[in-house]
Amino acid sequence: MSLSELMKRGPLFLDGGMGSLLQAQGLMPGEAPETWNLTHPEKITAIHRAYYEAGSHLVMANTFGVHPMRYPIDECERMIRAAVNCVKEAREESRTTPHPPASGHLPLEGKAERFIGLDVGPCGKLLKPLGTVDFEEAVGYYAQIVRMGVESGVDCIFIETMNDSQETRAALLAAKENCDLPVLVSNAYGADGKLMTGGTPESMTAMLEGLGADAIGVNCSLGPEALAPIVERYLAAASVPVLMKPNAGLPEVKDGKTVYSVMPDTFSEQIAALVPKGLRIMGGCCGTTPDYIRTLRQTVGSSVPPQIAPSAGTVIASRSRTVELGKDPVIIGERINPTGKKRLRQALQDGDMAYILNEAIVQEERGAEVLDVNVGTPGIDEAEMLCRAVEELQAITDLPLQLDTADPQAMERALRRYNGKAMINSVNGKQEVMDAVFPLVKKYGGALVALTLDEEGIPQTAEGRFAIAERILTEAEKYGIDRKDILFDPLTMTVSADPSAARVTLDALRMIREKTGCGTVLGVSNVSFGLPAREVLGSIFLTMALHTGLSAAIMNPLSDAMTGAMISYRTLTERDANCGEYIRFADTLPAKTTVAAPAGTAKAVGTEGQPQGLRRAVVKGLCREAGRLAREALEAGTEGLDLIQKEIIPALDEVGKGFEEKRIYLPQLMMSAEAAESAFKEVKARSIRTENQKNRCRVVVATVKGDVHDIGKNIVKLLLENYGFEVTDLGKDVPPEEILAAVERLHAPVCGLSALMTTTVPAMAETVELIHEKAPWCRVMVGGAVLTEDFARELGADGYGKDAMASVRLAERFAEEGEEKP
Amino acid sequence: MHLVELGEIPFDEKEILRYAMMPSTATAPEELPLGECLAAARSAVRCRAVWQRYPLGWHEKELDLGFAKTASQNLRKHLEGCTEILLFACTAGGEIDRRINREKVLSPVRGLLMSAIGSQQVEGACDRLCEELEKEYPERQLISRYSPGYGDLPLELQRDIIRALDCGRTIGITLTDSLLMQPSKSVTAVIGMKERKTV
Repeated sequence: MSLSELMKRGPLFLDGGMGSLLQAQGLMPGEAPETWNLTHPEKITAIHRAYYEAGSHLVMANTFGVHPMRYPIDECERMIRAAVNCVKEAREESRTTPHPPASGHLPLEGKAERFIGLDVGPCGKLLKPLGTVDFEEAVGYYAQIVRMGVESGVDCIFIETMNDSQETRAALLAAKENCDLPVLVSNAYGADGKLMTGGTPESMTAMLEGLGADAIGVNCSLGPEALAPIVERYLAAASVPVLMKPNAGLPEVKDGKTVYSVMPDTFSEQIAALVPKGLRIMGGCCGTTPDYIRTLRQTVGSSVPPQIAPSAGTVIASRSRTVELGKDPVIIGERINPTGKKRLRQALQDGDMAYILNEAIVQEERGAEVLDVNVGTPGIDEAEMLCRAVEELQAITDLPLQLDTADPQAMERALRRYNGKAMINSVNGKQEVMDAVFPLVKKYGGALVALTLDEEGIPQTAEGRFAIAERILTEAEKYGIDRKDILFDPLTMTVSADPSAARVTLDALRMIREKTGCGTVLGVSNVSFGLPAREVLGSIFLTMALHTGLSAAIMNPLSDAMTGAMISYRTLTERDANCGEYIRFADTLPAKTTVAAPAGTAKAVGTEGQPQGLRRAVVKGLCREAGRLAREALEAGTEGLDLIQKEIIPALDEVGKGFEEKRIYLPQLMMSAEAAESAFKEVKARSIRTENQKNRCRVVVATVKGDVHDIGKNIVKLLLENYGFEVTDLGKDVPPEEILAAVERLHAPVCGLSALMTTTVPAMAETVELIHEKAPWCRVMVGGAVLTEDFARELGADGYGKDAMASVRLAERFAEEGEEKP
Repeated sequence: MHLVELGEIPFDEKEILRYAMMPSTATAPEELPLGECLAAARSAVRCRAVWQRYPLGWHEKELDLGFAKTASQNLRKHLEGCTEILLFACTAGGEIDRRINREKVLSPVRGLLMSAIGSQQVEGACDRLCEELEKEYPERQLISRYSPGYGDLPLELQRDIIRALDCGRTIGITLTDSLLMQPSKSVTAVIGMKERKTV
């Protein structure tokens, strides 16, 4: 029987621990087990042989710690070849020993069913966005390991002990792209049922199945009893075989020796109990020995796992959260889409991620469950931007994303990077589009949104749209894409252009629901295009669509009417226990305007001699009040310029001076800066040109390569903006060339660099030198915890900002002096 | 190797404000969104530690810490009279980093506060761990903790510590090429142990 068949049928027995056995043979603590492939191959072979003889079908080569980030590449290759040879030899030697006659239904002979796995472990570093290792770099390393393993003659790839979903993806993708062997993927969970970076059994299942893993499951970290509930969650969610390789309980130190608490019989009973529930691949991890595997085989005996019942739901996932489509209706936030949004288009062209991230959080807080991400804007590299947006959004929100682009190249790059199982928006009935998008869905996984239009355009009838839906399903089947992963968008048309538009859409929606069973998606707002009071019409249409069976609406969650309709629908269809969601929503609605609250007014008057009104609000750091007062003043006819010069700037100066004199501290300074910002926003919103602000000088700011501390840099940015500088923020961990490129592109006269560690100061020095050499017009100021005035001078910087205010003063001086350096 | 879950570490507002660059002598402005940040931080912090005991070797030019050797003079002085060390790594976990990133997007001051909360939590977790270690070795006197980067103890020692405690696997701390720990709210340190003086 082939390994794949055995995996699907089960039970398939794996091997047990390696490290603890080697330590018993003299491996020193801290010594790397993989080095013994070269120095003590006979000992490695003996352990493998013992596992085969104990009844393991699949034994892993001793390659867990081999990684190009740890060893030179030729050494990796030598170690992998030696490691695989050890297992081959062990298999040869054990041929004379038959497997113990345990599993009654499997006629196991001595020769058959002994397989070799390439053991692939984590690299030991964290991937972006929280870490510094680039995703594609990680894929590249794993690709090398996989190719070496395949050349050495392994039968499968075993990716294990991964505690980060993104690194798991990198390894799995590398394996799928570089071999046709079965790939088994095993993650290491904490006692809280989560991966170190937040992944859950459900989110990992959605992600790994999408990427084509042949078996998935858990190993290490805990004993079988503690892992059992996690395995059961896998069994409930998965449509592929599930594996389990637990530790022999938790390690304890007794008389200076590490011992494990769970003995072979208990270990085996706890695992065997999961076989009737569907567990089909099993072995042991830390602390287990051939004895454990032998006992496990005996205990499982003739027990056979039931057939796998594929799960039917349409599930999408982020790194840590899943959303099921087709059960309860879902809100997909539509606001990250530059169509008709000038401000967002500008942000994209400037590479201003903060704006996009803010849109994400605001939508999440207003109830969005999935975020649509569309960055298509003239003048930018869409593939690059979509990829970056995906990575940065996933660093701050765990909502699943809907990748929205018509460019297959951009879609592929974003899908590679997306940590989870994405919604893919979109494909349609055009052959060319299906040819481009279906292979991506097959390779990376995802739930596909299919529009019911084709080469002929959008059919005028429901039957026409349904026919396209059927054609799309037939085509998808050719690629082996599961129909549960396809949702249809029967297209919302404008009712002002065609009175039957809404009816046709809803009819098509009903036909698709009833006849294909697939989920449905609609961008609802288009229905009211060209009409007044659009939200009224839109929210009713949404209600009708929901009633017809809509699975998800692409809509603006900031619209009270739309969100209100969605939540009301849930409440009215028994999906909102005690009307809790509805009541929480109602709490967020703006209160009816009554007479201005007297308490607030009294507060604004202030005591004699104290600044009042807007100036006071900025000094006190009252963000909302500052915005409100600015708005009221502008509405009452005050000039924006007056407001800035007579209220905001004096307030900032007062706070800045207090900070310099140590009467006011950083959090207060920042709150005032934020209050000033919200007042500035009001001025800008009235499109009054802001050239009146003291400076229009451009400043590029960045945290240097290797450093991810950016709080200080962000404070400097905020204050510089307050003082009227036009700041381009390149973010953190930015290579020197990228900083130079921005300085050159903007011809920026000032650049601010931040570094917080002694180890990243060299990168700062390198950047300063590069800018001075290639962009001599630019003056560089530096700051950060490890720097001093003297140190900054040594680095060649033009100035040292000891704190945020000092940086503003420096930038002001540089701006005044102009390009001529003194 | 010993793994410890440190449970919920109480918030210490004075300490948090100190990390946010606000000295304890100053009064926090009422409008500071500290309460909201504290509420958001509670579920994002999960403090865990791993520790291991090593013999301490005194050589003429260097100290043998059991997992690595160092020529640091400051550490030598700090460990005077000790015969063993306890090495530990402690982290507030990855979620708090995400939370910090998220708050930074909403407002810099919230980012600053959230970061300060993370620092206070991991330091508080270290204190709790040290209390537990004191109880573990009642017959020994434990010296205050000392971390790479203090005095002349090189940051490079982080590599050895992370490896010795298998931090990636045990509690999820990894190192960047520039020797930054990730998650960022993490601490590693050495604690000296000597015979308790009998009075």
